[in-house]
Order: sequence, then structure tokens, then C-alpha cells
Amino acid sequence: MVTPHDAGLAVLELKGIGKEFGAIRALHGVDLRISPGEVVGLMGDNGAGKSTLVKIIAGNFPPSHGEIRFDGKPVHFGRPIDARAVGIEVVYQDLALADNLTAAANVFLGRELKRKLGPFALLDHKAMAARALELFGELRSETRPHDLVKQMSGGQRQAVAIARTRLSNAKLVMMDEPTAAISVRQVEQVLSLIHRLKEQGVAVMLISHRMPDVFAVCDRVVVMRRGEKRADKAIGDTSPEEVTSLITGAKEAA
Amino acid sequence: MMKKELGLFLLLAVISAITGAINPAFLSFVNLLNMANLIGLFGVFALGEGLVIITGGIDLSLGSMFALLGVVFIDLLTTYQVPWPLALLLVLMGGLALGGIQGFLITRLKMQPFIVTLCGLLIYRGAARYYTSDSTRGFGYGDEASTLSNIASGNIGGIPNTFIFLIILALVLGVLLHRSVYGRWLYAVGKNEEAARFSGINTNLVIATAYVISGGLAGVSTVMFVFYTNSVSPSSFGNFYELYAIAAAVLGGCSLRGGEGSILGIVLGTALLQVLQNLVNILGIPNSLNFAVMGTVILIGVLADQQLQARRRRKAALASLARTAPKSKDSTILQSAALPTRAGDQA
Repeated sequence: MVTPHDAGLAVLELKGIGKEFGAIRALHGVDLRISPGEVVGLMGDNGAGKSTLVKIIAGNFPPSHGEIRFDGKPVHFGRPIDARAVGIEVVYQDLALADNLTAAANVFLGRELKRKLGPFALLDHKAMAARALELFGELRSETRPHDLVKQMSGGQRQAVAIARTRLSNAKLVMMDEPTAAISVRQVEQVLSLIHRLKEQGVAVMLISHRMPDVFAVCDRVVVMRRGEKRADKAIGDTSPEEVTSLITGAKEAA
Repeated sequence: MMKKELGLFLLLAVISAITGAINPAFLSFVNLLNMANLIGLFGVFALGEGLVIITGGIDLSLGSMFALLGVVFIDLLTTYQVPWPLALLLVLMGGLALGGIQGFLITRLKMQPFIVTLCGLLIYRGAARYYTSDSTRGFGYGDEASTLSNIASGNIGGIPNTFIFLIILALVLGVLLHRSVYGRWLYAVGKNEEAARFSGINTNLVIATAYVISGGLAGVSTVMFVFYTNSVSPSSFGNFYELYAIAAAVLGGCSLRGGEGSILGIVLGTALLQVLQNLVNILGIPNSLNFAVMGTVILIGVLADQQLQARRRRKAALASLARTAPKSKDSTILQSAALPTRAGDQA
């Protein structure tokens, strides 16, 4: 079991992160460490500052205060693509997939494999389908590369989105409500996908409202409230009841 | 994945056969070549319009671009005696520039394509009429650009050059749209721009490029139309032509919501529209009904396509249910019954 104060090298380390939007203080003094292969649940009510924190890590906007270290080195992200370049991927709630394209096309969207034909570079459909199949295999998902995304179930769509992060060899994957709005059996699929990522040494940050999911896959849970980190505990040292009271503010900190 | 195109082709064949049976003049060589010429003329800019529609946008300015670029083109050749290769180049650049401006307004300044190109329609038409004081421009008796005229309105072995050009253009754009990375991005941007942006695609550039291509093809079309009519009256030249292009693209399987359509479909859509116009003449239907016939066919065509798609979706949903359900005996049968539709990824 990995603890928050593990001496091992952290993949992501936040120190005193704060963010103001005009007069509104969205985040204040957030410290956070995530080690490789660790799954951290990020919980909090609406407006607690979860999305702001995720967006800062993903490079959507810079923090007003504090320092982000990735793989031990300080980093500054101007745009999301900078965060991707160092190995941070976000799987968005609405999944950011193009429905009209195939699973393989979505996995490779923006990073298409090409083959040269004289001066022209054409899409290498075959190689992309083969690699996508490999990735789905690693994730033990039965998603078929040639299927259109619009015909897929919520679980399969998650598999496609997660396969995208494997393609780039991401070191930190942040998942925004991956289990909202899908069926119970598909939740199982998604949680097992998270296990696959963990097995491969990927750090996962799971943003979720669903207590059972967090307690099923996470090593650690971080609770946000009113822009501050109120708790950061190993799953074994806490309970759903305690986390709930931390989220609602019934308990101030732990 | 070619179902739409196949359906359209069959519709085209059936309509042609029926018309030909009623009046054999429809299938006469002269009439076919005439139609081929018109398909070439209208197909070129319909392809540009199709690319724009695939991005989820629309270009309403094409007809007015023809008028503006047309009067400028003729003026360059006649009044200013500019050598034709230079005049041709200037008109093409003019089309690219107008498309570029529209693309800039739409992507950088986040204006709606409908509004930007509607204003383009009004501005270019107004500029053309003001520039000429609303008078018709035509070639004098001199042969200012006989070489270019021969290329634009000539034929090879009887086949109109416009039609040959359309086929070549369709092949080039077909590779671009269906085989290249740019085409893949165009579909992605059209369906889910946010997803494309998150994937690191420069969506503004992809979308703006579609408008630039459309503008450039409008420049090409201008030259072909000028040599087809040999004169340009700025108030009517190219009027409504953008609507023909939109109709052809939609008939050809493009969705105005973006992300769907194919080059072959757009070409077939253009052909169907021209056949419809032609059969109105050939069958002695009053010419005034021309638009009504076109409108009816498009309405029925799009309606039928929607119904078929909905049915296919239901089948696919059933099949995926069967696939994920615990092993049932008939699941494989259902699976094979539902062929996935792959619009947007025609390989």
C-alpha cells in the first residue's frame, strides 16, 4: 500500500497551488503527491475546486500561486498540449470522442500513423487498426477497432478513451467522472480498466462522486472543500461515512 | 459504408431510365454531353461546398463570388489587356483570399458561418454591381483569351473539359478527404470540434482551410462559367448557385450538422440535380416547375435516407445488445445482420 508520504519518487507533486478568478478564490494552498501506479480518488461537492485543480494540472490554465513538479522537475503548462507532452492525459466526462469515426480512428486522432506514397503521406489504416487492437487487448476490452464509436456502449467508449492515453504512454491519467451515466456492468469494466493502468505503472487520478467506485479502486482519497484540501488518507484508514462528512463539511478536516 | 452512394447511383439510374423510356432524346449523345458539361460546371464548386459542410459550416457566398470574380476577370482581360495566365492566377488568388477572409472570421473571430457567408453573399454581389455600374460585361470581338477559352469550354474526344476536370478534381479531393490525415481531421472537427482540439488538432486551421479550398474552387468555377456564358451580368450571374451546391452536397449524403459526406456522394448529388433539371425540359414539364421538382426530390431523398439510417441504428443497437449479453445462441446471427455504417470513414 502506497501512502501519501511515501519516500518514492512522485510522478506529480503540487505545492501550495492556489487559483483566483478575479475576486473569487477557487483554490487555496493545495499540496498533493501522486506516485507511479497509484490510484488517487479526488472527491468533493460541486464547486469544491476539483475541476479547477484538474484543469490546472491538465494545462488548461496556469495556477495563480504554487509549484507543479512532474517527474521531479518543475513544469509550467501554457496549453493542454504542454501537459500532454510530459505525459499527463485527461479522459473527459463527455469523453471527447468523434462519434462518426471508428474506434481505431479515435485512438489515433491527432497522432495518425502515415505511410509515404511518393511525396504524399496517406493514412495507414492497417497499422492503426492493428495497434488499436493490441491496446484494447492490453486493456482486456473487446472493443473492435473498426466499429464506429457512436454504436458503442459507455464502457467501450471509456476503453477507447483510455486506449488513447496508453498510446502516448501517459504517466498520469486523470479521469473525470468515468462511471457517471453508465450501467452497473459497464462500471465494472471501467474499474478493471483502471486496474490495468495501475498494473502498468500509470498513476491515475479518479474524479468521482460515486463512493463505491472510489473505495473499490483507489489507494488513497483526497477530499476537497471550498477550494482547500481537507483530507488525504489511505483508503484503509478511512470509511465512506468519514469521506461523506468531510465532503459535506460535517467534519472539518482529517 | 458505400450504401448511401449506391442508393443515390441507383436512383440516378432509375430516373434516367424512366426519362429515357418516355423520351429517347434524353439519352441522345448530344444531350448526355450537354449534361456532362453542366455536371462539370456545377460539380467543381459543389465539392468545395461539401468540404465546408463536412466541417459543420456552410458557404452561402459562392454565387456572389462568381459575379464579383467574373466581372473582375473579364475586365482584366478586356479593359486592362492582362495576359490570360496572369488574369487566371489573379482570379484564383481572389477566390482563395475571399475564402481565407471568411475562414478567418469564422475560426478566429468565432462568427457563425451562416452569418459570415451570408454577408459575403450580399457584399460581393453589391461590389460586383457597383464596380460595373450594374452593366453586363462581356468579351469584345477580339479573342482576348482564346487559348483559355478553348481549355475551359472545349472538349477532348467530345467529352467536355469541364467534366474531365471535375473527375480529376474529385479523384484528388477523394484522396485528400478519405485517405489523408487532413481528411480524417476534417471529419473529426465536423462532428466534435472539442474532441479534435483535445486531441491536439489545430481545429481553426482545419476549418479555415476548408473555406480557402471552397473559395479557390469558386475561382476555378468562375472562369469556367465565364467561358460558358461569355458574359457576366453582375446582378444575375451565379444567382442561387450556392444553393445548388448545398443541395448537391446534402443529396450526396453530407449532413448539415457536419462530420458526414463523401466526394463520390457529392458528385452523384450534382449529377442527380442536373438530370432533374434536364428531365424537366425533356419531358415538357413547364419550366416554371423546375425548382419545385428539385425541391420535392431532395425532400423525399433526405427523408428516405433518414428513415433508412434510423432503421440501421435500431438494428445495430439490437446487435450490440446481443453481443454484450451473456452468451445467447442467436447473438451471432444478429451481429452479422447489422453491418456497421461507416459514414465519415470511407476507406
